[in-house]
Amino acid sequence: MIVCLAVVGHENNPLYIQSFTESDDALKLHHIVHCSLDVIDERVNNPKKSSPTINEAFLGLLYPTENYKVYGYLTNTKVKFILVTTDLDIRDADVRNFFRKFHAAYVDAVSNPFHVPGKRITSRTFGERVSTIVKSFGLSSAS
Amino acid sequence: MVREVSESCVESLLAEIVLSYCSGFYANKPELAARRIEAIGFQVGHQLSERYTMDRPRFTDNLEAIKFICKDFWSELFKKQIDNLKTNHRGTFVLQDNRFRWLAHMSIDPSVQASGNIQDPSAMAENKSAQATGMHLYFPCGIIRGALSNLGIECAVSADISNLPACSFVIRIKA
Amino acid sequence: MEEYPEELRTPPVALTCLVGCPEVHPLITAHLHSQQPPINAIALPDFSKISVIPPKKPSRDASGPLAGIIKRDWLSKHRTRIPAVVAAIFSSRDISGDPAQWLQVCTHLDNLKASIRGRNTKLVLLLLTNWDNKDDTSEECILALRKRAEVDSKNLIIFVPDHEEELKQSLSRQVPFIVSLSFKVFGLWTVFGELANTYYRDEGRRVRTRLEKKNYTSIELNVRYCFKVALYAEFRRDWLEALKFYEDAYHALREMVGTSTRMPPIQRLVEIKAVAEQLHFKMSTLLLHGGKVLEAITWFRQHTANYRKLVGSPEVIFLHWEWLSRQYMVFAQLLETSSFNDALYVPSTASVPEEKPTEWEFYPAYYYQLAATYLKEKNTCLEFALSMSVDVGPIDGSAESVVASAYLGQYSRLLEHGDAFIMQPLTDEEYARYALAEGKRFQDSFEIIALLKKSFEAYSSSKAERTAAYCGLQMAREYFSLNDFSNAKQMFDSVANLYRREGWLLSLWEVLGYLRECSKGMSSAKDFIEYSLEMASLPETTGSVESFANDCGPAGPATLSEREKIHKEAFEVSRGDSELNSDEQNGAFKVKSDYPLYLEIDLISPLRATLLALAAFHQPMVKPGAPSLITISLRSQLPINVEIDQLEVQFNQSECNFIITNGQKPQIGSVSNLQLGRRVETAPDLVLATNKWLRLTYEIKSDLSGKLECIYVIARIGPNFTICCRAESPASMNDSPLWKFENLLETIPIKDPGLALSGQKAIQVEEPDPQVDLILGSSGHALVGESFILPVTVASKGHAVQSGELKINLVDTRGGGLLSPREEEPFSSDNLHVELVDMSCDTPGDQSEAPSDKIQKIQPSFGLISVPSLDVGESWSCKLKIKWNRPKPIMLYVSLGYSPQSDEPSLQKVHVHKNLQIEGKTAVAINHWYMLPFRQDPLLPSKLKSVSETDQAPSLALNEKTMLIISVKNCSEVPLRLLSMSIETEEKSSTCTIRPQQEEFREAIVNMPGEEFKKVFTIFPKVNSTKLKIGTVSLRWEREQPHSNTTASQVTKHRLADVNVELPLLVVSLECPPHAFLGSPFLYSVKILNQTEMLQEIKCSISDSQSFVLSGPHSDTMLVLPRSAQVLAYMLVPLGLGSLQLPRVSVTSVRYSAGLQPSTVSSLVFVYPAKPHIDLKPGDA
Repeated sequence: MIVCLAVVGHENNPLYIQSFTESDDALKLHHIVHCSLDVIDERVNNPKKSSPTINEAFLGLLYPTENYKVYGYLTNTKVKFILVTTDLDIRDADVRNFFRKFHAAYVDAVSNPFHVPGKRITSRTFGERVSTIVKSFGLSSAS
Repeated sequence: MVREVSESCVESLLAEIVLSYCSGFYANKPELAARRIEAIGFQVGHQLSERYTMDRPRFTDNLEAIKFICKDFWSELFKKQIDNLKTNHRGTFVLQDNRFRWLAHMSIDPSVQASGNIQDPSAMAENKSAQATGMHLYFPCGIIRGALSNLGIECAVSADISNLPACSFVIRIKA
Repeated sequence: MEEYPEELRTPPVALTCLVGCPEVHPLITAHLHSQQPPINAIALPDFSKISVIPPKKPSRDASGPLAGIIKRDWLSKHRTRIPAVVAAIFSSRDISGDPAQWLQVCTHLDNLKASIRGRNTKLVLLLLTNWDNKDDTSEECILALRKRAEVDSKNLIIFVPDHEEELKQSLSRQVPFIVSLSFKVFGLWTVFGELANTYYRDEGRRVRTRLEKKNYTSIELNVRYCFKVALYAEFRRDWLEALKFYEDAYHALREMVGTSTRMPPIQRLVEIKAVAEQLHFKMSTLLLHGGKVLEAITWFRQHTANYRKLVGSPEVIFLHWEWLSRQYMVFAQLLETSSFNDALYVPSTASVPEEKPTEWEFYPAYYYQLAATYLKEKNTCLEFALSMSVDVGPIDGSAESVVASAYLGQYSRLLEHGDAFIMQPLTDEEYARYALAEGKRFQDSFEIIALLKKSFEAYSSSKAERTAAYCGLQMAREYFSLNDFSNAKQMFDSVANLYRREGWLLSLWEVLGYLRECSKGMSSAKDFIEYSLEMASLPETTGSVESFANDCGPAGPATLSEREKIHKEAFEVSRGDSELNSDEQNGAFKVKSDYPLYLEIDLISPLRATLLALAAFHQPMVKPGAPSLITISLRSQLPINVEIDQLEVQFNQSECNFIITNGQKPQIGSVSNLQLGRRVETAPDLVLATNKWLRLTYEIKSDLSGKLECIYVIARIGPNFTICCRAESPASMNDSPLWKFENLLETIPIKDPGLALSGQKAIQVEEPDPQVDLILGSSGHALVGESFILPVTVASKGHAVQSGELKINLVDTRGGGLLSPREEEPFSSDNLHVELVDMSCDTPGDQSEAPSDKIQKIQPSFGLISVPSLDVGESWSCKLKIKWNRPKPIMLYVSLGYSPQSDEPSLQKVHVHKNLQIEGKTAVAINHWYMLPFRQDPLLPSKLKSVSETDQAPSLALNEKTMLIISVKNCSEVPLRLLSMSIETEEKSSTCTIRPQQEEFREAIVNMPGEEFKKVFTIFPKVNSTKLKIGTVSLRWEREQPHSNTTASQVTKHRLADVNVELPLLVVSLECPPHAFLGSPFLYSVKILNQTEMLQEIKCSISDSQSFVLSGPHSDTMLVLPRSAQVLAYMLVPLGLGSLQLPRVSVTSVRYSAGLQPSTVSSLVFVYPAKPHIDLKPGDA
């Protein structure tokens, strides 16, 4: 299950952060997302030769915490997507696919003329679309 | 889902933007009008670059980003690529479109607009038609600047229409 | 890692035992230690002590129940008490033949053999001998000893401690030394090492056979055997085998979880975990020391994953967290101490995990941080468990008698029965109580902080600031829980900065909540209010459910109502309505008049959201004294409206400061303590609504020229609370990060959108208009060389001039300065093309001014002169003397700075600027040329050769008179008076004589513009020279100025070019009378002088002329002898009248093929119609 999803701007500011848990651990998830920005920095600045494609948007698993897995995605416009999930056995392909759908939703959201670039995304439509994607992710990995 | 817009609509819209800003809102403040039109272009470029870079790997350097503007970005906007790209390798790029669409229906006396550099309003003041054309160029300049800015490249963009119908956009990247 | 026993942390070292001859023990022990790998030795001084080696226990009854998995002391026993090799040391004297002694030796040996028999320990004999009698020891004795001890010959070593060379040999392993008995003796270390290896291998093999035959009854034994094999392998430094068996042991142990029923469940799990910990530690150490970091990390991951879920029963759950925390901490320490190089990124051949470790799993900091997290978890659980156990009643003394039992991870109660101690197994309840009691004894917080600090520092140094901040936050929370507010505040502050910068609102909310509590704890009202206001004015995260989350620190959920609560609290404290209570005794703190509260908000303060003040002048420039509008715009993000009692606006010119009071509020005491005479305005109300601009526009004027800048806007709220806000320009308003990232509705601060974009908080107040004239008397062009005089007049019209200063600057109009770049010496005045020579002023009649007031400074292109005080209507002038060295136009800038009032000389200066372009021109142009005497033409050798004559110096004929004509042209536009002209020769008079053909001027000659004046000189060179210096023409002149005689005369010099003096080869002279008469014949002769030593053939021809009848040869060739002359004479009769051209004579030298053609001018003759009455004889000229 996806527990948290965040869009982080190029100044490392949260553009959109949403947790999907019942419990009161939003703040903890914020911290996980925030710390994972360091991993993204490290990974982008010192790319390892072993990584398959050097500038792919999908960054893969950022780091495992005891109960979560954190995945990252960096767009060409230096916007970071961070996904926190409790599924410990998860396929990269699923995450990749999820991010692609999410990216499309994000692009539509920021193309809204009433959205000011670099500011928090407050569109309700975006929120609804994201929760649909998040739900479908749970389904596909379960099947 | 591909959304398409009629070309003539875009052209009319651009003309209307220029008209309303230059002779409507800021009739006696051309710099302010220019700034607003550029800002509109900036946001459009910013948003378009978000969309058009969606499926590509991240750019490693400035040249790659500029090439993207010349090829894919320009193709999306104008169904053609930039015809000529020049650079001094120190952060200045000149993008020349031999037949810039948004100026295609613009008629300018070719003898007087030789010095039509829109970043220099004082030179423009002497020539009304060049000034009017210049106003139409703030929007595409803003688009380029917005697109590059979103790709992490802060720059200044100016346009040169000294040999119409070709139009050159000069990009100076801030060091 | 420190809590692990030494034997576990270090790799095992083979153990030997030395018996007998204690004097050599230190020597041998030291040697064994120093080798690589080292060997440990137990030193027993004599054979009676042999019993310290524990005898082999009787084989365990296989059917009996197993008490545990691994004996706690098994490892240390093998490392310190059970030797692999025993070395019996005998002195050579002992076996020298004395039967009693021999018997003694035999007894010792037998005892020794008996005691080690069961253990398969290896025996070595060491025979100690002296160098002097090393050959005394007979071979037979040695053989006998060897037989008695039943050892191989190579295991008997002859040892000569008192001889260095021998000692070295016997100690060293490589060089065997051969005694007379002719068997090889290996080095001690080699022998010991080999035997120990054999011992450990045999032992290992023994246990391994049991494993292979599955000859064990329980998993416990399986684990134990694997462990033993691995350890024996480690003794042999066979790391691979060790690793394999540790792994086997680990896997076997894992199977025990849930299957074993030997012990009560809590203790069972504790034991398993303890063993697992030890096994895993061994494996990690082996892997890391082998450089296999990747495998180690993967193993660790697996290890923690295996056991993380095995929390055990709830009452001792804290034990699990403690255990887990220790796993992380130990692994972090191992990772830190292992050599951390690039090799670790290279995946080794071993099993590659399906999921590669991420970057941070290579950092010890990652593990430290998790260790801290789990320790915190433990702490929480422990506290909970303790709180539950209070009901059980105080812990009885029974816990104190609990000790660690013989098996790893087991505890039992020690009961005293008279002299004997009996270990009694514990029940789970007893154990839990014991564990709780133990847990209570330790304060974990400091441990947690230490771990986090390590992690914090490591992350900080590797530029992972966000993770470091998270560690810092955890640390700060820990400090906070210890009530260590100052440390907590420091950490929280640094963390808050990061969250502020990156706009992480919820995290910031939590941290600020803690900070508020900290400042409460530290009784700092200022901090408390600052943090409260910042929290209250944090932007709202609309549309996010997260703000309602409850775990947001001490301030509760980040909701609007919570913000409002905080806002109210802060203002209550600021008004002094409520006290700031803290738990400490001295804590109560109240804002009152003795302790007013003063907050300052600058451009980077987080409180900009609380109060932002923009100031914008409506114009960029203003005249002094003229009014200008200024708009002050205030905005606050606080959730509740704030009413300001009074606003003070401060400028850099303090006279402009003014106060705005709130019309709604009664004038309270705050006004009284203001300076008198301050302008006070009243606004209808001063209420700041959330995120709405409060705009106030007032008129302002300044009399002082210069910059007028709004610096502070100071808001007073209540009697003792002041917020001083630094004013900002709308044009350069930097966004506060929190606003920049939040999607707030932005309104413009000023109604005029242009001003909102470009308004400035500063205005330029112009100077008052000058009412003084500065007149530069222009008088046309300057002439090069003269001192050009330019009068400057300061005439006061409306202002008095006080402490005036005149600045003069000369600037080359074409740029490039007044210095010619080619000239080398910088300080010679010649280099300056134009220079300011002097400034002289006509001091007015009254000498009231002290001369000390005068500043006068002259540099070549700059001058400064002070102007005396002038009253209105007065004027003053001075003269500038400027000298041109080259013709050049310059721009003269003169600026006058003065103050119109005499009382404040420094404050208000008025400036007048004037400039004037002055052309510097050359006054005269001097030219010169040479002319030969009339009708004489020397043939000079240079003429024959020269191809181009332009670049050649003019050639003069030796010993012939040449004319020099000097012409002077007036190039200026004014008449000049020429005073004298002369040629200053440089050569001695013997080489060349020059004399003027005219007298010196008797009076000055006035030369009008454009006119030319000529003077003729004759030159008579007497020396043959290719470079004869003629000299310099020097011309004195002055400006023709009818009304002034003061102008000094100038000298213009013109150097004449060098000339070439040659002896002419041939000189042709024409002779004829100056005039002739119609019809009367005259003689016309051509004289050819040959100055060479050669015979010259000359062709000569004369053309016919219509004007003359001539007699003589028309064309002839003649020979002229060396150094002689030939004359060709013609008789001519003129036929015409007037100036007639004589018939052309052409003379050609055949040798030089050079024609000598007299010029047309020189071949003219005037023919009169008749002889005048005056009898003129021809040839008179």
